[in-house]
Formats: sequence, structure tokens, C-alpha cells
Amino acid sequence: MPRRKQRAFDLLEIANLLFVAASIAICTILMLADIPGMELLEVNPNWLLIWVVAWSLKRTVWHGAIAGLIMGCIYDGITLSYPSHIFSFMVVGILTSRLQAQKYLGEDFISVAFIVFFMTIASEVIYAWQYAQAHAFGLGEMLRKYRQMAIVSAIISSLWSPAFYYPMNLWQKRLRLLRKKRSSNLTYNL
Amino acid sequence: MSRWWDRYGFRTILAVVALTIALWVKQTQGALISEVYYFAVSPFQSQAQLTLEDRLTNARILELEQNVTELTQQNQQLKQLLNYSSSTQSTQIAAPIIGRSRDRWWNRVTLGKGRQDGVKKGDVVVGIGGVVGRITHVTPHTSKVLLISDNTSRVGAILSRNRQFGYIKGRGSSTVIMHFFEQATDIKPGDEIATSSLSKLFPPSLPLGKVKSANSKGTEIEVELSAPIDILEWVVIQPFESKFN
Repeated sequence: MPRRKQRAFDLLEIANLLFVAASIAICTILMLADIPGMELLEVNPNWLLIWVVAWSLKRTVWHGAIAGLIMGCIYDGITLSYPSHIFSFMVVGILTSRLQAQKYLGEDFISVAFIVFFMTIASEVIYAWQYAQAHAFGLGEMLRKYRQMAIVSAIISSLWSPAFYYPMNLWQKRLRLLRKKRSSNLTYNL
Repeated sequence: MSRWWDRYGFRTILAVVALTIALWVKQTQGALISEVYYFAVSPFQSQAQLTLEDRLTNARILELEQNVTELTQQNQQLKQLLNYSSSTQSTQIAAPIIGRSRDRWWNRVTLGKGRQDGVKKGDVVVGIGGVVGRITHVTPHTSKVLLISDNTSRVGAILSRNRQFGYIKGRGSSTVIMHFFEQATDIKPGDEIATSSLSKLFPPSLPLGKVKSANSKGTEIEVELSAPIDILEWVVIQPFESKFN
């Protein structure tokens, strides 16, 4: 259906692309900024991780993996990258998409906060293991030192995740509605 | 194959483009992001901080009080035996701290001065009171500092009073552990620690901190860093050519 193909690059898809790119840019700048009131015990929420979870919740495993890979690269670019964060972010992306939250958990904010909490702890533990391997510390010593930091980071990330998830969810719902309207218009015109 | 491309081609191209951009960000250590952040944050720098910058260019007066102990000891020795560079620096650049490390595993800060102000990789960063770290990455307007309190940093150090050599190891907080090369005997709390001439990455005779406590055997000494890194807002960058990069 050649007429269908020509409409592949229409305004809606471009707007969606711009929205996704803008959300990534905002997350990155938020990661660097030190906004007072947004922190708990000097730990800021990990916005890039929240983005990965919000993105992979309703998408396939491939989407989750690639999102984790991309966000891991960006996170490495902002902080020191040895060892790399790519592995922990990819695991988070894959786990979140495997959860198939819409089937079992529902989409409300409490469950999203819950998921972000456990995913942050999981990514911190994986990174602690990588760090301990790279610098020849014992894993037990690492966990003892950074256990408090991991839990605080998980709490603050999960508390701020609805603030990010809510606009993203709104946009996705609006996009789905507009796509449905557009396809129904097409079939009507046909 | 063409059916797969029809359905997923656009998405694959998008993913590849996004991945390329992300890898480029990782490769340059977020240079573009640092620049954008610098320009986003610059309207929030207050006028009061600019007067503080003037005061800080004279901050060496505060350091010299601790340097006097070091220099009086050195004058007693034959200076020709010590192969160290002169302790007066030519140009010093005062820089604001515009960002801290988001990742609690590494102790880094981001400064608001970069290549255009003459900052180079390897330069030494000094705060009021003592050494803070060294520059690891430079972009046109920002630079990144690895602090000496980081877990992986090692700095050659010397106890100013009795000239015993050792090195300090960061552990992610405002105190560091000092190890001596030989069994250290005469250590009292309050003794001053400075960078030694054996250090390759830092110029000698820069103040580091004071001894806080020593364990009974004298092997592990806890040193309190004299520069309050957590509340510092301005630092001074000293140009330094390290022997190893």
C-alpha cells in the first residue's frame, strides 16, 4: 500500500521523536544540576535510570535492552566510566520489560515507584560487584560501605519517579489516541 | 527480508543513530553536555561570587601560613639534593565549582573554567587550605577534577616536622589514610602533612592536611584534609607539568 508508506514520516512521528529526545536531554541536565530540595542526604535521584524504567515498562525486551545501552553510554559520559554502567542499565531495562507490568502490576504510580526502587538497588549491587572486581576490593567491604548510599539513592529515585513517569505516560496515551484517530480517518477515506 | 525492513527499518535506523550519539557522548566524556550545562547554569551565578573571586586570587596568603613550616625545614637541607620545581606559580586561575559527581562511587567535581581560560589536563587544583585534586578532562569552558579523597587516588606525602615520607590513600570522605614507607615513630595529632618531592602528579610542598589520629602500631595514620571539599565553592587551578601524564 504505497499511500500508507508515504505517511510514515508524518508530523506525529516527528513530534514523538522530538519528545523522546527532549526527555533524554532534560534527564541528562537534571542529573548534573544540584537543585536544592530534590535530594535526600546529599543523594540526587538517578534520572537516567528512571527514564530507562519508564521507557521499558510497556515495551519489548529489545526496546529495554537498547534503552539501557544508550542510557548507560550517556551516564558513562557524565561520570567516570571505569567500570562502565552499560551492563547494569541494560539489566535494568531487560528486567523491567520482562516484568510485563501492565499484565501483573498495573500502571499506577505506586507500582512504578516500587519497580524503580528495586531496579535502583539491583543496578547499584551490579555496579558494586563490577567496581569490586575492577579495583580488587572485596564485595563484602564494598557493600558495607555503600549499602546506605544504595538504599538512599533507591528511595529518592523512587520518590521522584512519578514526577517523570506521569508526563511520559500522558504523552504516550495521547499519541496512541492520535494514531488511532489517524488510522481510522485513513480507513474512512479509503 | 523486505517485509521485516518495512516494519522495523525505521526503528532500526533510529536505534542506530541514537546509539551512535550515545557512544560519542561516552567517548568525549560528555564534553557537549558539560558545555550546555555551563551555559544553562551561568545566569544563576550571583554577583557576590565575583567579588569572592577577587579575594581568592590572594588565597596563597592563607596557604603560606602552613607552607612556612615546610619551608623552614627545607632551608636546613641542601637544596641542590632536592630536585623540585620552584614553589611560586606564574598564573593561577580561580574557578567556581559548578557541578558535583552524580555517581557516589567517584569523587569528582566540575569547574567553570576550561581550555579557553588556559586550563590543561594534569593541572593541580587547590582550595582554601590545601590540595583538592587534579584536572582529568578539559572542554572549552569546563573542566573535571578528580579529588584526592577518591578511593583510587594516591598522593606522595611527607610529614613536615620530621621529614618522613609516605603516601596518602583516599577513601571517599574528608579523611584519608597515610601509609609510611618506613616504620614511623614520632607522630602527634596536629602534625602537618604536605605533598612530597617523590610525588609525580603533584608539585611538592603543597599542604594536604593535619594528622587526626594514629593507631597504636604507627602504620595507619588518619589525616584530616585541610581543604573543606564538601563546602568549597571556589578553587584555584595551578598550572603543572607532571613528569608522567
